[in-house]
Amino acid sequence: MALELNKLTYQVDDLCETLLNRSEELAASVPVAREELRIIAQHPTDLDKKIQKALNFRWAGAIPTDEQLDAIFPAPALPERADIIAADGSQVYPDRHGLALYYLINIGSIVFKHGLGKAPECFSQPAVYHETKDLYDGENLVAAALINARRDITELAELAVRATQLEKDDSAPTLTLLDNGLLLYFSLQATDRAQLDEILRLYLAELDNLRRSGAVIAGIVDRPQAASVVRLLRLATMELDEINEDTLRVTSPFERIIDRRLFEELPPEHRTAVFANASPQNTDFYKPRGHKIHFFYLNAGGNSGTILRVEIPEWVANDPEKLDLVHAGIVEQSRVTGGFPYVLMRAHELAIVSNAERNDLDQMVMQAMIQRGMSPEQSLKAQGKAWTGGSKRRYR
Amino acid sequence: MAEIPIGRMLRSATTGFTFGCSVPEPAVPIFGTFVKAPAQRGATHIIGLIYDIVIEDDPFVRQMIATPDLPEEYILDQRENRQVPLEVSVLAVGYKNGDGVNYALPPQPPITLDSVELCSEEEIVTFTRSLDFLRLILAARDLPADELVASALQQAAAMRPVDERPRYLKEAGRYIARQLSFDLPRLDNLLRRISM
Repeated sequence: MALELNKLTYQVDDLCETLLNRSEELAASVPVAREELRIIAQHPTDLDKKIQKALNFRWAGAIPTDEQLDAIFPAPALPERADIIAADGSQVYPDRHGLALYYLINIGSIVFKHGLGKAPECFSQPAVYHETKDLYDGENLVAAALINARRDITELAELAVRATQLEKDDSAPTLTLLDNGLLLYFSLQATDRAQLDEILRLYLAELDNLRRSGAVIAGIVDRPQAASVVRLLRLATMELDEINEDTLRVTSPFERIIDRRLFEELPPEHRTAVFANASPQNTDFYKPRGHKIHFFYLNAGGNSGTILRVEIPEWVANDPEKLDLVHAGIVEQSRVTGGFPYVLMRAHELAIVSNAERNDLDQMVMQAMIQRGMSPEQSLKAQGKAWTGGSKRRYR
Repeated sequence: MAEIPIGRMLRSATTGFTFGCSVPEPAVPIFGTFVKAPAQRGATHIIGLIYDIVIEDDPFVRQMIATPDLPEEYILDQRENRQVPLEVSVLAVGYKNGDGVNYALPPQPPITLDSVELCSEEEIVTFTRSLDFLRLILAARDLPADELVASALQQAAAMRPVDERPRYLKEAGRYIARQLSFDLPRLDNLLRRISM
């Protein structure tokens, strides 16, 4: 055994002690935050002015919409007929120690027709990327973050294609779901502005396609770590004239509280009010294209009371019928699994590339290389990992 | 009659094999069904009887069981689109090759992913013409051999003209009596099952 667990006993004890202490601290502070939410919902004194001022400092909190801040809404009924499409992707990153330099993106998708009594349609679409333009970012090997962003675009493109190709035999509405937020994480990581512009251009073009198809889109984040609404609470406790770049960085009196904790007492199948995301990326890129991202939290039901963050573009948030479809569709799909949409679990299952499949792909690559007279070989390092990767044996 | 593939080989031995297939339909596969699988690159066809059908669970299905009023779409997705882990075990009772029918263990087992097919009515009648196929069933351990004998004989009899059936079953009874003369309680039990 490489990991000597006996040497970690005390550290694991410490870890649990830390968790317990943190949990006790939060148990004391979360009710205070909930009360603050109730107060500013009733008396939002100068809240709009405070938000406007904070936005000048690229504040990334939650902006209230027409819905009352602390309002909660039960799940509406899902129409008798509705189509729900989900897509998810997985990737194999390039391995410079492998037989050949390439990366793979595999997209799984499922078209689920509620109310038809038929088996859903399932799809899996793999693609290998091996050309210089795919593999290199200038002189450097393509970064994992960029591959992830390309995967995110491909997932969205898959949803747009499926939604557009859907054969409609009735007027059933279409909901499309992604296992991710809609604000591309890459926009927070990218350092190359031209590259970011190109990625966002492609991503937003797919959002355009989805909107044109007539389908509704929602991105779902399980176990969300965001503190957008908590930032709003913090802002509300500040005086207007004390808002500046430095004071906005202070998190007290709500340190380490995240929105999920704030809303964990949502009744099953209920959602919070809808908020707009004040993130600068949203304002700079999504809003000008008519896709400003909004969000709400939802107790997707089940015994565990799973709180999901659901992200939607403004053309969904501002249309009550579309918003209801998102809410009802997610609740209906989560009923079966205990708190997460069934179609997203199935899309993930269709997308995932197992180690055995990856090895099979490597075998295919090796065969093809040999047929062309090449001599494929792994690096010695990769070979060594293959030799020692199994369970360690000890001579006795 | 066109051959009906019902699954593909998962693992095999000379004494029998296990194949995987999609969700069981009302008719196939069922306990006691005669099936065949190729061996020796198709030079031999092993004849066997289904003696066990196992449907394994998985965590996904386990979660869904508790859902009240589970809509049909979810059930169909699990049954038709996902790989339902359904395993069917078969006892080898003989084989066919260029020389005809042999009531013995096959020279080689089938290979992984070989196609398993239902035996046609004509094949079953031909194969059960001699009652020697019962010998391997009666000698089998750790499987419901007596149930299998009864099921196989009922099938074989049903595929013969009505006036031949009593004579066929009577001959089978005599054959079994010779094989189980040392085990009268088992013989008595088996004869009762055949005559039912």
